[in-house]
Formats: sequence, C-alpha cells, structure tokens
Amino acid sequence: MLKIEKFLLTLAIIASLGILFVLAPIIALFIAVDPNTLYKTWFADPLLSSQARDALLLTLEAAFASSLVLTIIGIPLSYFLTRYSFRGKNIVEAIIDIPLMIPHAVAGIMIMLAYSRRGLLGPLLSLTGIRIEDSFWGIVATMMFVSFPIMIDTLKLGYLNIDESIELVARSMGASRLNTFVKITLPLLVPSIVAGFLLSWARAVSEVGAILIVAYYPKSINILVFEWFNTYGLKYAVSLSFVLVLFSLVVFILLKTVVRK
Amino acid sequence: MIEIKDLYVKLGNFVLRINSLTIHENEYLVVMGPSGVGKTVFLHTLAGFIKPKRGVIKYNNIDLTMEPPEKRGFAIIPQDYGLFPHMTVYENIAFGLVIRKTDRRKIDELVKKYAEIMEITHLLNRKPNTLSGGEKQRVALARALIIKPRIILLDEPFSNLDPILRVKMIEFLKKLRRQLRFTAIHVTHDIIEALELADRIAYIHEGELKGVFTPLEFINTPYAKPYMNELALVYKRLKQLGIHDISIII
Repeated sequence: MLKIEKFLLTLAIIASLGILFVLAPIIALFIAVDPNTLYKTWFADPLLSSQARDALLLTLEAAFASSLVLTIIGIPLSYFLTRYSFRGKNIVEAIIDIPLMIPHAVAGIMIMLAYSRRGLLGPLLSLTGIRIEDSFWGIVATMMFVSFPIMIDTLKLGYLNIDESIELVARSMGASRLNTFVKITLPLLVPSIVAGFLLSWARAVSEVGAILIVAYYPKSINILVFEWFNTYGLKYAVSLSFVLVLFSLVVFILLKTVVRK
Repeated sequence: MIEIKDLYVKLGNFVLRINSLTIHENEYLVVMGPSGVGKTVFLHTLAGFIKPKRGVIKYNNIDLTMEPPEKRGFAIIPQDYGLFPHMTVYENIAFGLVIRKTDRRKIDELVKKYAEIMEITHLLNRKPNTLSGGEKQRVALARALIIKPRIILLDEPFSNLDPILRVKMIEFLKKLRRQLRFTAIHVTHDIIEALELADRIAYIHEGELKGVFTPLEFINTPYAKPYMNELALVYKRLKQLGIHDISIII
C-alpha cells in the first residue's frame, strides 16, 4: 500500500513539474502585464488601439478562413487516407506531414516560390485575382500550410475511431455510399472536426516565421507583437501577448470540453 | 433462392473458393469452420463489401455479383452488432426504412411492431452504449428484419454473449424464425448453435467449401469430429460425476 502511494507521489511530482514548466511563462506574462499599458494599447490610445484591434481581428479572421478551408479539404482527404489503400499512400502522408518538420521561415520561402506572382503557380493564381504577397490571402495560405498536418492527422484519427463495420451495416441496409457518409460517418466525425478546426486555428494564430516572409502586411497580431517588441519594448509586446494567450486558453478549454464529450 | 457458382475471392495470400452453393427461401444455413478459414470473407463477399475475382452470386436468377451492397437486399449483422452509436434504438431500427423514404407513420408502426416482437419496446429511447449484449443483439435483429431483406447474414452473432444469454438467444432466434420466416446465413464455430439452428450446415476449411450437410449428416462427417470431441468431453465428465441421465440437470 505504502509502495503504491510512493509510486503515485513520484508520478504526481513529475507531472506537477511538467505543468509548472508550461504554467510559469503564462504566470510570468500575466504578472508582467501593466494595466495602464494594456488599457492604452487596447482602448485609450487611438493609434495603438486601432493597430492592435485591426491586427487581432485580421489574425482571427485569417485563422478562421484557413481552418474553414482546411476542414473542407481535410474531410474528404482524410476519408481516402483512412478508408482506402492505394499505391503511394505513404508518400502522400509524408508530404502532408512536411510542414511539421521544416523551419517556419523555410515554409514561408516555399509558399513564395510556389504561389507568389513569379512563383510556380503564381500566373495561375493571378487569373483568379488572388495575390498572396502582402495580402490577407497570403496570411491565409501560410496559415493553411503550417496547420495542414494538424487538421489531417486529427481527422484521420477521428475516422479511425469510427468502427468501419457500422458503415458496412448501413450500406447493407440500403444506404448508398453518400447516405452512409452523411447519416453515419459525418455525425460521428463531428467531435474530430471541431477538434481539428480548433487545433489548426490555434496553430494558425501562433504562426509568425512564415507570415513574416509571405505577408508582413497587412499586419497580423503576431507580426505586431514582434514589431512592438523591437519598437516600443517589452511592456507593449506583453499587452498584445496577454490578449492572445487569453484567447488561446479559452479555445483550448473549449477544445478539451468538446473532446471529453 | 440464392445461388453461388464458382466463387473465387483473393485477398492478399488468402483465397476463398465456393464451387457451388444454393440457399433456399426461408432456409437457415449455418456456415461452420475453424477461425480464420474465410467465413467472414464469405459473408462480406455475399454482402458486396468484397468483390470476387470470378464467380456468380444470383438471387432468383438475378445476377448480383457486381451490385453494390445497398442494391442487394442482404442485411448483415456483424459480430459486434454494428449499432449506430449516435442514434437511439428507435432510430437504429428505423434506419433502413428512413433510407427507403417510407412514410413516417408507417415507420412508427413498423418500429413498434418489431420492437414488440423482439421484446425491446422499453428500450426504444435508449442509446446503444447503455444496452447489454443480448439487448444489442435484439436491436440488430429488429433493424435487419424490418426491411424484409432477401437474406440476413449473421457473423458469429452470439460470440460476445455469456453462455446463459447465448442459450436464451438461440431459443429466441428459433422462435423468431417460426414467427417471421426469413432466410439466413449464420457464421459460427460453435457446434451447439449449428445443431440448434441450422436447416443445413456448410463447412468451410482452408478457404474452401467442403460440403453442405443436414445436421445429422454433419455430425457423421470427419469435419464434425473436433466439435463432437468437445461435447464428448463434457459428457464424459458428467458421467464421472455420477450423472448418467442428463435430463436430471436440465
């Protein structure tokens, strides 16, 4: 009995140290917030507050658009990757995971090489009127690129958790492939879609390196944190960061609640 | 009547061959064989989930070999019952009728009728994760039978049940057959299920159909020997315990 308690105590100490490691910077940030600067940054100073609010709104909007497009792409892509075997599947999966492995600046350069006006697919994109350098869509494209594996892997896990035999039963009951997908698979996938959306949204919001290269303007909140830190110092950067961290906390509490359900 | 001719299925290194097999209307065919000999592959091929390399599957002379599962009218009940976890028992049973765009009032009437037959009326508003194994089995049967399928394919339906429930379900299924009359293929490696339920027993071994027999014929084949040995073991032990007349313990 005593041995078990010691074992649990050891686990608890290690676990607490882990939590403390992540919690310390959050607490430090919250302590470092100067209420006056915070108020000035977000409300009192017309110039600063409009910059901060615009940047925050832009980031939230771009991350939302990025996650939305990724959800639309991710649902069918993950379905194929989990429900079918085909030649080259490993290669496709490795390609999807590439954004996880490369430095963010490299990701930015790759996006520029592929989608900027002079890039590989730039002329094609120009036909649709979409320009990625220094534009909202550039931010969205960059966010999509870095969040892609997170969305796909979350959805893949969701599909794998759905017992395939119930899809087979539905088909044998007369449901077409589409009907089975809509009435059986999709409703069971909803928690994974929500989780994938929130995780990729959070990943998108946190991106700086690649956005710095692809779209410095219009300024997203991450770029602004970086810029204010260099221009106005730590106090102002902390004021921006505080709101971002608060947002992330809310999103992840939401995520955990959904996953638990 | 379902006719299977020269069926050849290849999955990696595994091969299943059924030269000729006919299942008559309202017949209860039990497919027996040790684990891993291709019984489930056979059911999945019949259901249309696996395409055979060659051969023909016909229902009343209509060739169904290349038809998708939803066009066959073969309702499958997998080993774990395959209930839809996000739907209530009512919605599970109604599923096939909803897909067929049956009138809502008719659906309600039929669901209640089948729930009554299956003795699960009190479970209609429950979700599958709150049901016992036997209850799940009855819901799965109701969901399959309500669409009046051409055949029901049962994949080791009692393997997850404890012995008491298994005996109850065998009796229930026998009663159900008398009441509703349906054609079924029931896959199992349990001799008691086979002898209790089968009109005929098809024996598959090493990916090949070895023959189709009446229960009496089957117990006299060498294929039945391992199963009969198991029964003999129980009988021998009972005798050792001084029980010579089994009726005194039943």
